[in-house]
Amino acid sequence: MEVELKKVDTTHLESAPARAWLMGLAGWLVPGLGHLLQGKWGRALLLGGAVWVCFISGFMMGGHLFRFDASEQGISSLLQIPPMVGDLGSGLLYIVCWVKGVGFSHGPQQAALPTFEYGWTFLLVAGLLNYLSMLDAFDIAAGRKS
Amino acid sequence: MRHFLVVTAFAALAAVVFGTVTRDSNRDRFIYGLKVFAEFMLIGLVLAWVLYFIPF
Repeated sequence: MEVELKKVDTTHLESAPARAWLMGLAGWLVPGLGHLLQGKWGRALLLGGAVWVCFISGFMMGGHLFRFDASEQGISSLLQIPPMVGDLGSGLLYIVCWVKGVGFSHGPQQAALPTFEYGWTFLLVAGLLNYLSMLDAFDIAAGRKS
Repeated sequence: MRHFLVVTAFAALAAVVFGTVTRDSNRDRFIYGLKVFAEFMLIGLVLAWVLYFIPF
């Protein structure tokens, strides 16, 4: 039996420079900052602006953030993890809310809002969009994108 | 009307990010962004009508 061995292109497997990790981290912490530090003003405005608008709109619609709460019974607490990971994408916005204890609970009045479900969806999507923005900032700093 | 505005805002924000992070030229980015926006709107409207006829 013959096995054909092909040479693997290792150009993309090389380790990224520390600067790229730093830009990725900055982009995650403050939406748009990763691009701003690299002088990509247009992208910073578009990507950062979209994430900020999405996050603020989510709160204005009455949404709430998710966090892991071990006090929940059984598998209910584990179900909080995926949306928490999504929300965590907002970086400092999420961390500040977590430290201040703002936006994690909702009363019956808030839950009765017609936009309540949209609200937490917007907050979740803001985090997910920021993950994309963060990866873009990383790729630019690593020289994989212009 | 409120729901339609929210879906429009959602589609616009997602389209801006999806369009911006693609690799191509500015023109391609713009066209891709418009395409993503149209797809989100279309899928949202189709789903809304499908769910409207489901009684549970």
